[in-house]
Amino acid sequence: MRTWLRQIQDKGFTTASAGAVVLIAAALLVVLVPMFGRGITAVVFTETVEFRRLQKDLHGRGDNEHLARALADAAAAREPIYTMLREFSEGIDTEPLVKQARDVYQKYGEYLNYHNTPKRQYSDYRRQAKDVRDSLVDALESDDRQTVLDGLDAVLKEKDNPAFADTPAMEFFAMAQRYRKIAETVDLSHRAEYLTHLQEVTAAIRQLLGPLPGEATPPLWMDQYGATRLDIARKAKAALLYDEQWISDGPGKPMVKKIISRKEQFAGTPLEPLFDRVEADWEKLLQPRLRIYWQYFFDDWVNSHYFGGVGPEILGTLLLTLMSMCVAIPLGVISAAYLVEYAGDTVWIKIIRMCINTLAGVPSIVYGLFGLAFFVVTIGAIGKPCILAASLTLSILALPVIIRASEEAIRAVPQTYREASLALGAGKFRTLVLVTLPAAGPGILTGIILSLSRAAGETAPILFTGVVAMGPIPSFGSPSQWIENPGSLLGWLFQPTRALSYGSYDIAVGDRISMLAPHQQFGMAMTLILLTVALNVAAIVIRSRLSKKLRGC
Amino acid sequence: METPETVPLKKTDAGQAARPQQFAQAAAEQSCEAVISARQFSFFYGAKCGVDRVSMDIRSGSVTAIIGPSGCGKSTFLRSINRMNDLIPGSRAEGILAVNGHDVYDKRTNLVNLRQQVGMVFQKPNPFAKSIFDNICYGPRLQGIRSRGRLAEIAEKCLRDAALWDEVKDDLHKSALALSGGQQQRLCIARTLATKPNVVLMDEPCSALDPIATARIEDLIAQLKGAYTIVIVTHNMQQAARVSDETAFFCLGKLIEYDKTEKLFTNPSKKETEDYITGRFG
Repeated sequence: MRTWLRQIQDKGFTTASAGAVVLIAAALLVVLVPMFGRGITAVVFTETVEFRRLQKDLHGRGDNEHLARALADAAAAREPIYTMLREFSEGIDTEPLVKQARDVYQKYGEYLNYHNTPKRQYSDYRRQAKDVRDSLVDALESDDRQTVLDGLDAVLKEKDNPAFADTPAMEFFAMAQRYRKIAETVDLSHRAEYLTHLQEVTAAIRQLLGPLPGEATPPLWMDQYGATRLDIARKAKAALLYDEQWISDGPGKPMVKKIISRKEQFAGTPLEPLFDRVEADWEKLLQPRLRIYWQYFFDDWVNSHYFGGVGPEILGTLLLTLMSMCVAIPLGVISAAYLVEYAGDTVWIKIIRMCINTLAGVPSIVYGLFGLAFFVVTIGAIGKPCILAASLTLSILALPVIIRASEEAIRAVPQTYREASLALGAGKFRTLVLVTLPAAGPGILTGIILSLSRAAGETAPILFTGVVAMGPIPSFGSPSQWIENPGSLLGWLFQPTRALSYGSYDIAVGDRISMLAPHQQFGMAMTLILLTVALNVAAIVIRSRLSKKLRGC
Repeated sequence: METPETVPLKKTDAGQAARPQQFAQAAAEQSCEAVISARQFSFFYGAKCGVDRVSMDIRSGSVTAIIGPSGCGKSTFLRSINRMNDLIPGSRAEGILAVNGHDVYDKRTNLVNLRQQVGMVFQKPNPFAKSIFDNICYGPRLQGIRSRGRLAEIAEKCLRDAALWDEVKDDLHKSALALSGGQQQRLCIARTLATKPNVVLMDEPCSALDPIATARIEDLIAQLKGAYTIVIVTHNMQQAARVSDETAFFCLGKLIEYDKTEKLFTNPSKKETEDYITGRFG
């Protein structure tokens, strides 16, 4: 072949291979950067005063004085909003008012009874009160402004009636006066429409600021607080300020999404200024502040991951991974040493080697089913899904890789090392332990690194054998328990645990949380990657130290 | 030299009785000077014959060189003496090879004891990836010596014997792999001496070294002569002539000639030997 052709060939190959490496790196970045970018928002984000309140209530974190001041500021800013909302809702949603009017009538009757009013006077007063109540209720229930105003005027005329002076019935007139103010401004013919929109606005305000004053405390923590993060708060604000409607232009025409400003929706009502107020007082309402929520990696979750962190998941993943390595590493290395140093080249050994190679390619769900059938069901001593069963299943998954890598590493140790040791009078076992295995260390560690990452990230093998989405954190007992019953030291092995891999899956399929708190989903994925990287880095550091020592530096 | 076949060996123990009568008898009256005695010793790799019916005695305290063309079985013979060939699957020995009057290939031979008695230095320096000190102490530790002071004593003595002490005394705890090739080979010799062998086998110990390092090793061999019985395999005939008292010439697995070095190189009795040392063949 001609020289120039060979040179072009060389250059072409170099370019192609460099290109491939760049492509892989780029693909990795494309996957990892958005993942980390979103995941990091679980840890670093702009918190609101609600988040500080939550942290205080849950964990007692934060400065009392600061929190009190921030809460007071927020409350001052919220007050006008709540008032506006209350007044308006009273005008639109008259059902409570009607009920109140009936209550007042009842109370008035009780009042009369209490004061031993003469019988004739009593029935007369009662009748008058009933008239007032009926005209008030009629006014409240009417949609026509004129009817309402007339009815209310009729009620207010009775204001100076001596029968009602200094009695609970005076409440009728206060109500009538308040309602008249609303009736003068609000277009009551659109009452039903206003009512639905008002419900949406109230829901958005609850989302943003937490339960309204005077409401009963909701049972779920996630409903007890407003938006804890600025990104969630922005969503709630958008729902508060804009209405999203699907409107068709006419029959047979497609529905079109329309964004309608709430301000227009409530134009002319006393609620109109509320929206400008929310925009203007935005910072004061929520008191946002940058937060590095490092406790994310230690906290337990609250309300299925709506709040809190992934501490137990990290613990569980570490337990499962390290426990499985504790089983897989000795077994794998010993098997590899046997296959290389002791076993002959018989048919059986060839079959065994082939089986090991095949095992390395078995889908992980098969390991999971095997673990369920064998460790959980067949072995009576385990008998239930737990850390032990799950880590044993993981260790079987890790074994083939460790065996293959260790075998190669042990085989690659120069024969002269073994000869030197044997010639000095060491037996086969001592040679293996003192010379061959240390020399094969870096290669064995490579296998361990590969299988460790796989074991940490696998979901399927632990799915049936010992992992739960929600459940208690494995307890390790206390020293006094250990002294009393040494068996309790191993108690954690027989408890199920949570794990990052399964947790990510669970959040992803549990649509509510993945929609309400997407940062949790990405945060958990990021944590899993970080944990795997950390375990890998630890192994790589050990390996590089070992090989440095072997090279004699 | 006497013809080996006629020199009877001392009988070692009852186990020898199972062996052919002539060998047992030969083993019974070993000449008092011989440390290593081979009688009709053959070694096979599967069907291939590596060493073919070799009989020779190696004198205590002497330096014996084994020369011969590549593949003539000289390394095989050397490695048979401390049974390093056992590692090769399908290998087998016939005849008698005795060290200190004990048959090496007897079933009851304790390999650990044998290899402590018969040390070996390999072609390529092969120190362990440990410190110099740990390299020296590898053998003594296997023998159960744990005391740090005793180990330090052994290390100093062996390093002095191997003429390495002055170069490494300040960094005994540095990795042995940081030494130069010649130093590494001397370290390997020191490591071998630490098990207190009476025979040291050297398998082309200088073939991977430069001339200066080679000269130092040769000096070392000369110093060790007398205290240890040394058997050295070499391709370098000048080296054999320089360092050895006796020389054996192997060809195609057979021992062709075994005599005083001076005589073998100046006045060989066999035609093949003469052809080889004059460079006409090999």
